[in-house]
Amino acid sequence: MQTCKSGSLALRRKNAVWYLFMLPSIVGIVLFMAYPIIEVVRLSFFKSNGTVETFNGLANFKYILGNEAFRKSIFNTFFITFFQLLISVPVGFLIALAINSIVKGKNFLKTLFFIPYVTPAIAAGTLFLFILHPNGILNQFLGWFGLPAVSWLENGMTARCGAVLMGIWRSLGFNIIIFLAYLQTISPEYYEAAYVDGCSRWQAHCHITFPQMKGAFSFLIIMGWINGMQRFTDVYALGGMTGSPARSLHTIVGFIYERGFGNYEFGIASAASCVLFVLILLFTLLNLRFTREEKPTRRKNL
Amino acid sequence: MWTAYMNSLIVAGVSVLVNLIAVMLGGYALSKGKFKGKGALILIILGTMMIPFETRMIPMFKMFFKANMVNTFAPLILPQIIDGFGLIMAKNFFDKLPDSLGEAARIDGAGPFRVFALVYLPLSTPIMATIVILKFMASWNDFLWPLVILTGDQTRTVPIFISAFSQEGGTRMAGSTMCVAFLGIIPVVIVFLLLQKYIIQSIALSGVKGE
Repeated sequence: MQTCKSGSLALRRKNAVWYLFMLPSIVGIVLFMAYPIIEVVRLSFFKSNGTVETFNGLANFKYILGNEAFRKSIFNTFFITFFQLLISVPVGFLIALAINSIVKGKNFLKTLFFIPYVTPAIAAGTLFLFILHPNGILNQFLGWFGLPAVSWLENGMTARCGAVLMGIWRSLGFNIIIFLAYLQTISPEYYEAAYVDGCSRWQAHCHITFPQMKGAFSFLIIMGWINGMQRFTDVYALGGMTGSPARSLHTIVGFIYERGFGNYEFGIASAASCVLFVLILLFTLLNLRFTREEKPTRRKNL
Repeated sequence: MWTAYMNSLIVAGVSVLVNLIAVMLGGYALSKGKFKGKGALILIILGTMMIPFETRMIPMFKMFFKANMVNTFAPLILPQIIDGFGLIMAKNFFDKLPDSLGEAARIDGAGPFRVFALVYLPLSTPIMATIVILKFMASWNDFLWPLVILTGDQTRTVPIFISAFSQEGGTRMAGSTMCVAFLGIIPVVIVFLLLQKYIIQSIALSGVKGE
């Protein structure tokens, strides 16, 4: 029979083992999280090209907030993300409803819609270069309906719309999967009870489906915003480093990349990264606030 | 083109391995371990998930630049040891496994590593499969960080290759570019079709977007 090891030395040794388990994660967090964050904040106060640094105070921040290109990149990012979410979330919901009521072939449809999501963003972007070409598939498709061909990538506004289309194509599958997961948690008994009481389909959806979907909607919208803020890869494939045409496809990350690694202006790029971080932090906190509201309130023990 | 495939494969493979080891060890400790500062560590890990990669990108580049590791695979693989999301997934998984298994082994005299390796690890194949799939796809599709770090021709991964190919000599939207893009998509789609049940399940459960 082993005697109880409760001496403090043995206890400390026992605890030490767990630190060994956590060692890779802790080392990683210090090296690749803590240090970079401190450094990026520090760099944003300097004018730096990687080797030579001069202290700059708030000049970098003043510069980017007044800079036309940066302001445009914020506008682009918000525009593309907003319209993508506006269309992709409701349409995803409708398609998920439709798929949910099909008896056979659910998995096939799920897979089909999900494929765009797993393609590498850069490959999808390159393919869309082809689709959005003046002689490309999209214009031919419009031609079938008698609509005029649009030179998507020539003009600023249409290029942004093309990016929105690409975003919808990619994110629709993900939205559908999440909606389906939520839909499947609704017990069919609710619907049966409603139909017995004489509800029409529309009323059933209004009172049963929509309230349960609030969680899915808020999750997808917040996650969509956070990911939209970080949009870079696919619009880079369409527009290159300066987000041509006319800087319309330049996102915030595109700005960071162009300044940091195109011109090696690390100070300015760091300042822009800090601004991006604050924006994302705001949305993440919103996310936490919304998901916390979902938790049921605790009942007092009687 | 084949070099790019090999590069992507090597990077993704080793990344998955490094990540799996760090995440399984860490997740197990966060779940079954009792040590000082565990609560604080969990909070810190949750906090790191809020910080976008772009914000850390520049100092990480400078770090690897000073260490002369630009244009190698190390900068792509080493940061994979931090994965807040994977740690939380592994922790939740281990939480569901009963403590009694570990206690029984410890009564029989097994040390903590043995308990982990011989008792809990064999039971964790579902979560390992999920992590491998998600991490492999994320690594293969990763673009921004490889774009920044890999500056040579020979070290390009598939996404960088596609991008460079399409931007060579103006916008070459000819058949060859489309072909290259298509070839870049095919492996991922094949892997996806084979494993789609698991992939869709894990993403539905986790609800997190990769890039």
